[in-house]
Amino acid sequence: MKMVNAFNMKRAAAGLRRINLDGLRWRVFDAKGQVLGRLASQIATVVQGKDKPTYTPNRDDGDMCIVLNAKDVCVTGRKLTDKVYYWHTGYVGHLKERTFKDQMAKDPTEVIRKAVLRMLPRNKLRDDRDRKLRIFPGSEHPFGDRPLEPYVMPPRRVREMRPRERRAMIREQKKAELQQQNNDGTKKGKKREAPEESA
Amino acid sequence: MTRIKRGYIAGKRRRKIRLFTSSFRGAHSRLTRTITQQKIKALVSANRDRDRKKRGFRSLWIHRINAIIGKNKKKQYNRYSNLLYNIYKGQLLLNRKIVAQMGILKGNCLRMIANEIIT
Repeated sequence: MKMVNAFNMKRAAAGLRRINLDGLRWRVFDAKGQVLGRLASQIATVVQGKDKPTYTPNRDDGDMCIVLNAKDVCVTGRKLTDKVYYWHTGYVGHLKERTFKDQMAKDPTEVIRKAVLRMLPRNKLRDDRDRKLRIFPGSEHPFGDRPLEPYVMPPRRVREMRPRERRAMIREQKKAELQQQNNDGTKKGKKREAPEESA
Repeated sequence: MTRIKRGYIAGKRRRKIRLFTSSFRGAHSRLTRTITQQKIKALVSANRDRDRKKRGFRSLWIHRINAIIGKNKKKQYNRYSNLLYNIYKGQLLLNRKIVAQMGILKGNCLRMIANEIIT
């Protein structure tokens, strides 16, 4: 299967010459298990340089951000199948769309990149900030020799589940328990995986 | 009636305006009619932005104070609103500019002050 927009390791490391100052820190974000939008908003504040006391709005002073494990980023609700990315090619009637699942299959880094870019202010510094973002689908990156600092996400208050969701979850748990009991009772050695829900 | 030329009166007036606009770019410093327009626009902007400058700097100081709070003070779980409220309560006459500058240059001073204020 030919991957058109596949991820290119060389392209991710290129373009470092255009970034001027190297008094910048290199922050590493781990996207594994993080919710897409909440992660993207933290990345956007770091890339803008808004967590530094020397923030200046007309000068791009954000840190270099490296995002790892982009393919393990999560979304809540039904967004896995229902979130659609739209774009218009310019020709009449050519509104194209692609669902979240297909985009992750094609190029998982684009999901985070779109999310962060659309959270940055639309001004002349946006392209420079884009150049400071490096996203990788796995955990390997060619920046091993730089002084990297991991970024600790602020603690999150997860709201409690809605009653319908909670009932569904309890039902599934009971089903899984019953299946396990049946397995232990009748069939020996056969393993069955309980269905996972993307939460 | 004899013919009377207007002389150099208009020229004197325009020379003053041209002096003001002498460093502008392209036609804005060369063509007479454009010069008068550009001088008016420049003075209007200057007048308006003298008040905007005050707004802009205040917003910049608030941004910077927020950055300092977010970075350092997580241990004490402080917020911008809490910090300023405590400053007012402690009757310190610090405005945002000083607090922001202190945060950049002398971070320890700010931390000591914040510790004193909160408790």
